[in-house]
Amino acid sequence: MTETIAADTPFAVSVRDVNMMFDGVHAVRDATFDLEKGRFLTILGPSGSGKTTLLRMIAGFGRPTSGDVVINGLAVGSVPPHKRSIGMVFQKLALFPHMTAAENVAFPLRMRRFDARTIPDRVQRYLDLVKLGKLGDRRIHELSGGQQQRVAIARALVFEPDLLLLDEPLAALDRKLREEMQLEFRRIQRELDVTTINVTHDQREALVVSDEIIVMDHGRIQQKARPEATYRQPKNAFVANFIGVTNFIEGTVASVDGDLIAFSRPGLAGRTGNGFRPTAGAPARGALRAEQIRIGGGREALGDVDTVFDGTVTDSIFEGERVVYEVAVADLGGTMLRVFDHDPVTHSQHDVGSTVALGWNVKDVLVFGD
Amino acid sequence: MRPSRTAYPLSWRLMDALEATAVAVWPRSFAAAVPWLMLLPAVLLVGLLVLGLWDMADGSLRTLDTATFLPSDDYSLRNYDRAFTEKLFFTVASRSLIGSLIVTVITLILAFPYSYVMVRTRSAALRKVLLIALFLPFFIGQVVRAYGWLIILGSQGMVNEALGLVGVAPVRLLYNYPAVLFGLVQYMLPFAVLMLAPALTAIPEEMESAAGSLGANWVKTFLHVVLPMAKPGFIGAGLVVLTLSLTDFAMPAILGGGSQDFIANAIYDQFFRTSDQGMGATLALLLVAVGSMMVGVVFALFGAGTLAMGRAK
Repeated sequence: MTETIAADTPFAVSVRDVNMMFDGVHAVRDATFDLEKGRFLTILGPSGSGKTTLLRMIAGFGRPTSGDVVINGLAVGSVPPHKRSIGMVFQKLALFPHMTAAENVAFPLRMRRFDARTIPDRVQRYLDLVKLGKLGDRRIHELSGGQQQRVAIARALVFEPDLLLLDEPLAALDRKLREEMQLEFRRIQRELDVTTINVTHDQREALVVSDEIIVMDHGRIQQKARPEATYRQPKNAFVANFIGVTNFIEGTVASVDGDLIAFSRPGLAGRTGNGFRPTAGAPARGALRAEQIRIGGGREALGDVDTVFDGTVTDSIFEGERVVYEVAVADLGGTMLRVFDHDPVTHSQHDVGSTVALGWNVKDVLVFGD
Repeated sequence: MRPSRTAYPLSWRLMDALEATAVAVWPRSFAAAVPWLMLLPAVLLVGLLVLGLWDMADGSLRTLDTATFLPSDDYSLRNYDRAFTEKLFFTVASRSLIGSLIVTVITLILAFPYSYVMVRTRSAALRKVLLIALFLPFFIGQVVRAYGWLIILGSQGMVNEALGLVGVAPVRLLYNYPAVLFGLVQYMLPFAVLMLAPALTAIPEEMESAAGSLGANWVKTFLHVVLPMAKPGFIGAGLVVLTLSLTDFAMPAILGGGSQDFIANAIYDQFFRTSDQGMGATLALLLVAVGSMMVGVVFALFGAGTLAMGRAK
């Protein structure tokens, strides 16, 4: 039994050069990362990025074509799922409809031969943990979507697994419930201090719940970093584009001065992203977040900024807490920039077709080569 | 403006023409009656059956006059008395009942892995092969299939010939109870698989993965998750197999060779050999009663399974 051996490694999970190929598709390529015990990791990526395949390999539902999955210091390549100490919350929850909520939570204890006398107390404790203390006798179809989520969490945690895996269980919920459950996951994870790996395509969820984020695309790990670093220092254009609302300004490099990269377009410059060191004349793209751009009726309204361009408003979208402007900038070759205006006082003051001034700081433009 | 051919294909225009004809023949104001009208043929058919039963009930109360070979004019319960007391009828009835129960159990056991593989396999080719193998017997009638078994299992059949090659004396494989049950299982298997497959399809594969991650090996997963969740399919399949084999005629007749009669064979004999229509009607009615009771008991104990249909709760 793997779970009985106490390995003195600080890592709950280590993934070593893992590759997964099936039906001619290279779903996961050379994935390598370590996850410290007690941390909450989110694997974030678009559909088809390999994130779920990676999670399923950690759970034991698929053997890597090559490479090792190490859990608590032990390579688990040939260990079947039911012999791993892993709790998993599935995308469609997979609660057993022929059992009550309490029976669902008791199921892993019965399967794992816990002392029968301790089972009822333990089940009640975990139902209390997920705030379903009084609903144990309900059948699954008698519970609401959010309550079913809670049963699934309790069932995955009740046997105190070394690792909790979440396979996009929140994807089907409406936004309000999803945000509530994200905070619940966070609370329960902190309360039990259980190492957790969450898979999602929801960038907001990744930022809200995680200690660390792995961004995946096309089977490759693009970046592993803390949420703030993932957002502020994306390692490449894909990460910059996938998280947040990002504008890309295409151009060629005029000169490089330390971290500072000047574009051949007059007035446009940025700082290097991820150590990108181009030579003059190389193609490059500057990534600029929509919230980093200030918008005003004239240049004097922008305040103290390094870079200023004029543009024409082509669309104005009211999103409640903010207005998103789409502005065409002629001096940037007609590049369309999306700009947030969060100020309720100035909301919607720029009509479609009106001329506006856009301003930002050079340090907010991250320059990438790809 | 005429819509272009691609935007408005021929099949749509055909549908338009059909709809227009339908409206001309059956004005829209009659629309509420349509569902009932469509039910009518089925109701009429069942109604005819009930009429037939009524006629048989009448016949079952008349005894055969051995002098004239005509049913008596007066009513009596003589036929029912005979059915419950004569040893022959008891033997036939218990043979049919026990046989159909055995056939049901064996068929369900064999049908489960077949449907499971058919539903779960990732290979589209294997699924096709399994489906074709399933439907092939339907194209061959039950009687032809029974004769096929005669050719294979007969005293000069293929099996005995093969045994002869290794020096084993011919074995009597036909005209006994196991032969009839064997033929029935073979006949019922496709029905059971077809009834079980939708129930298994309805179990998400994620359920089995979940059971695995929660600590259940495949045996426990089967016992605690797949089996309970497939229960409606087992009930539906079990009822179909039970009633079909309880009332079967061809297999006992051909593979039993007259020595292994089921109730249907006894009824046939009464009607067409001894010409005792009253006795035949009595046995037929008793068969209907016993079959209905068994179905009723299953419904009461386990619910109607997939046969309950209706909207999901």
